[in-house]
This record gives sequence, C-alpha cells and structure tokens, in this order.
Amino acid sequence: MSETVLLDPGSERDPVQREPRGLPADLAGRTVGLLDISKPRGDVFLDEIARLLEAQGAAIARFKKPTFTRPAPTGLRQEIAEQCDVVLEGLAD
Amino acid sequence: MASDEFRDAARAQGDALGFHARAIYVPHPIQDRTDEEMKALARDALPGILDMLRRNPTRDNE
Amino acid sequence: MGAGNHYVVVTKRDCPTCQLIEPALAELADQGRLKVLNQDGAGFPALASAEVVDDHELDGSWALDVEIVPTLVCYQGEKEVGRTEGWERAAWRQLTGLDSLGDALPEFRPGCGSLTRDPAIAPRLQARHGGGGLTARRLTLAALEDAIETCYERGWSDGLPVVPPTPERVITMLSGTERDPGEILGDVPPDLVPVSIEKIAINAVMAGCRPEYLPVVIAAVEAALEEPFCMHGLLATTYFSGPMVVVSGPLARRIGMNAKGNALGQGNRANATIGRALQLVIRNVGGGRPGEVDRATLGNPGKYTFCFAEDEDPAWTSLSEDKGFSREQTTVTLFAADGVQGIVDQKAREPEPLCRSFAAGLRVVSHPKMVQAPDAFLVVSPEHARVFHEAGWSKQQVTERLHELLLIDGSELVQGAGGMAEGLPAKLGDRAFRKFRKGGLTLVRAGGGAGMFSAIIGGWGASGTIGSSPVTKEVRS
Repeated sequence: MSETVLLDPGSERDPVQREPRGLPADLAGRTVGLLDISKPRGDVFLDEIARLLEAQGAAIARFKKPTFTRPAPTGLRQEIAEQCDVVLEGLAD
Repeated sequence: MASDEFRDAARAQGDALGFHARAIYVPHPIQDRTDEEMKALARDALPGILDMLRRNPTRDNE
Repeated sequence: MGAGNHYVVVTKRDCPTCQLIEPALAELADQGRLKVLNQDGAGFPALASAEVVDDHELDGSWALDVEIVPTLVCYQGEKEVGRTEGWERAAWRQLTGLDSLGDALPEFRPGCGSLTRDPAIAPRLQARHGGGGLTARRLTLAALEDAIETCYERGWSDGLPVVPPTPERVITMLSGTERDPGEILGDVPPDLVPVSIEKIAINAVMAGCRPEYLPVVIAAVEAALEEPFCMHGLLATTYFSGPMVVVSGPLARRIGMNAKGNALGQGNRANATIGRALQLVIRNVGGGRPGEVDRATLGNPGKYTFCFAEDEDPAWTSLSEDKGFSREQTTVTLFAADGVQGIVDQKAREPEPLCRSFAAGLRVVSHPKMVQAPDAFLVVSPEHARVFHEAGWSKQQVTERLHELLLIDGSELVQGAGGMAEGLPAKLGDRAFRKFRKGGLTLVRAGGGAGMFSAIIGGWGASGTIGSSPVTKEVRS
C-alpha cells in the first residue's frame, strides 16, 4: 500500500490563548454591567444580583441582548466596554 | 453565568476562541423555577460572583 | 528550421494515428535527434535509433502539458520553439526541416486524447504535481494506517464513515464549480472560521458528493451563513432543529435528486450527501460538535442529513418563485427543521376539509398552546395536491386558508388551560393568536404518487428576528 495524503477539512486553527484583563480589588465605586442574554427567567435572577451587588457599593448598569440566539451586537459591546469596569453576562441555560 | 449543564459548551467555545472568560455555574434547571427559587439561586451564587469579579488571574476558569 | 534542433514526440500505442506514423518517426529517429515518450507501456514505437521512454506514469507527458497524441515538440537547446498535434504532414515537415518526411502517409490524420487529460487520471497527476490551487494542510498517513479510521480518530466524522479526502478526490470535486478554490464565503459558526470553496469541497468529498453536486452544497453553505438564518444559535440550541435543505429548479433534476417517492427518506445519493456535506462543514470548519457547543437535548436524525428536491407542478408556483426567483433558476432554501410529523387524510376530496386536517396537525407543532414561536414546512404529497389542483386552489390560497384556520382563541392557550401548565400568561387570554407568524408557513410539493399523506416539518422554537428565518440562495456554477 502506498502512502495516503489527506487534506484537513477543519479550521486549522490553533488560537493563541488570551488572559482576561486584571480585575479590581474591590467593587466599591466601580460600575458592574449586567448583560441579560434574553433567556426566560434570567431577568429575575439578574434583578436579585443587581440588588445584592449594589449593597456591596457597586454601581449597576443594565444591558440586554435583543435575542439569546445571536451574539451581542457590536454597538452594545462597545457601550458596555465604555461604561463598565467589569461585566456579568447571563443567565445561560 | 450559566446553569451547570453548560460547562462543556463554555469550555469548547473558550478553547476555540482562545479566551476563557471567568464563569460561575448555578444548578440546572432554570426555566420552570418560581421567582423565589430564582432569587435564592442568585443569593447562593453571590459569593462566587464576588470572587470572580475581584480575584486576579491564575484561577481555574473552567 | 531543422538543423541543430532536437525533438520530443509523445505517443500511445492505443492511438491509430500514432501507429500510422511509425515510419515517419523512424525517419526522424535516423537524424539522431529524437526522443519519444510513450504513454501506454514499453515496446512502442519500435525505433532502433531513438530514445524511447516508457511514460506510463505520465509525468513526462504532464510536464509537457500535452493534450493530444501524437504531439511533436521542437527544441532549440532547452527552449521549445514549436509544436504540432496529430499528424499534419506539412507542419511536421516544416518543424523538422525534412521535406520528404512521411511521403507514403496521408496528409492529415487527427490524433487522440492524451492520457493526461483522462478525467479519471488528470486529478491524480494534478495532485502529484502540486496543482489544483489546494492550500489545505496535508496529513500524510503511514502505509498501514486506515484512512477511514484516521478520519474517525481526528473527529472529522458525523458517526458514519466518511470518504477520505485525498488531494485527487478534492481536485475532482472542484471540477464541479468554476469558482476559485480560495474564495472565502464567510465565517462558519460557532468558532467563526472563514470557509473557502476548497474547504467545502473537502467536506463534500467526505460526505460522498459527486462534483456536480458541489454548486448546490456551496449555495447551501452560503444560505447557512446569511444572518437571518441564525446558524450560530441553531447549532447551539438545546432544541431539536438542524438545517434542512430544499432544492427547487432544473439543476435538482439534472443531478438526479429525488423529489418523488421516499423524497424525505434514504437511498438517493444527491439528497443524502448534499445535506450531509453542509453538516460536515458546520462540524469541521465551524467546530459545531454535539456535546460541545451543540447542546441539543435530543437532536433529530435529520442532523445527519436532511435534503430533498421539490416536485414542481405547473398548477402551483415553485418554491424558487415563491422566494422571488424564476422557475428556471435553481435555488436552495434552508429551514431550521425538526423531524417529520405525518398527517393522514384519505377522505377529503375538497380543499376545505383537507385544509382543516392540515390545520389540526399544524396546531400541535412544538406544543398545541405554543404560538408565533416555530415556523413550519408543509410538504404536500401529489395525492393531496391533486385535491387543490382540481379545485383550482393556488398554493397561496391554501396557505392563507391555513393561517385563517390557525387563528386560535387565547383562552385555549393560557397557562392551565386544558390542564396543562405550559402556555401563555393569563392576561393574554382574551386575545386571538395566529399559530404561525406571517411568512412562517411554507408549502412545498414532493412525494410519491400513491399515499394520501403529507408531512409537517416543524421548526425551531425561535423563528424570525428572534431566531431563524428560512433563507433562499440561487445555485451558481
């Protein structure tokens, strides 16, 4: 049997791993973004998280994806980046 | 933040994109929960969320 | 010309013209400046004074880019200064400077095709010589490795065996399109990886496609990457759905797709492999694999492949026409589909009772109380279509009547109604709801001539701007 050559059907990708940015030591005075991905029941969870984080001294900024089935629009991502120190996204189920 | 059924999905997407966001998982299911149950899930998740938002790298992000 | 030149002639024994000109070759050989490459084995032509090379591997012929045998190539030193194909005595005499060459031969005989142009051989030569414009990473297997098992080990299979994508097969596949192998169509979810025509061809080979199916596969990938189709969400959802491909128009018939008996079932190569090729592109290029980003709770067997052709009938507009194309254009329409739910009606001979049967079946898609959520396809069989054709009902009339019949009172839909917890919030109980959003119900004709059964194919619970809309693309060569 002679040697066989196959062509790779895949992405041929070997992504460089990036690390998350450094995070604040304390949330007091920081703005925490809450991004609702628009899955049912997520809003109830996020309302409670907002209340609890405010009690820790954080300012809360709320955002919502138009639909859970698509990635967040670029404009929304930019808005979050401009306004927030950290962002929490949820609730995926 | 996701329910714990979605750990594998998050890991796979993180591997592919080269970025593992910090994540916290709450017990599945979600959609048939009452409001009170959802709030209780949020309260239980709070310590993990605070830890996730404040700690510096080297954490296992799953 | 003539003096100081040397000559190469490419022949094959199987060619009558090559046999005919053997005396002329002998004359030329006597000048001591002839080399012959013979394509079909040793021992021909029998020449005492020339170098005769056995070129059955065809590498010499390939290097000369020969189309016809015999071909006479004339060199000054290393440089080619002229060539002639077949036997045209005047041209041979002019190139060789031998005024009496082939005196006993006729003036003209056409040649035969070079073996390098044989469709079964050309892709192998192209691959061996690095042609075809292929840039995908190459994986060389050890002599004893089984290529099909290697494809499994690499995670390239949907669970069924794939055809190993060798360069030869991929080059042959690419002959099915005029498009550049390097052309990029867009980013495939979930990993958002740019996909080239070459990568589609590789996956089409693995799926078992023939080259003439490739334009349909390419159009299906283009449709999947259109924003309204929402392939990313469709792949990731816990719901059953996957992309269903419906082909409408003349090319579907030309490539032998099945629109008749068992159209939604097994047994037709084009139906089976086109749908599978699309799924393999999502899997291999996009990285969309079950257990990873594909979170389907149950999935459905159509996620291996779900593709059929429309059985067009003059009485109804074709799916291409319904989507704004002409009947003469071939299109693919993608739909985020679940499985098939049968609907039986063996009594209705008028449109109204048949519409009522259809509506009753369509009512339960996803859940009898779920409205404005999934879209649906209704595949109308010829025996059911006949009822509408005989009554002069257009496809649009049937669709409109179904929407009317599927206007449901909110009191039947609210949570708790019928003893079912699932449902709409109680405050919506005094309104009426259409089961399907506008444009959410698509009719298409297909199936065998016997059987008063049609097929309801429900869709993903997230339709329209929330999720996926059916997308139609024209098939281009």
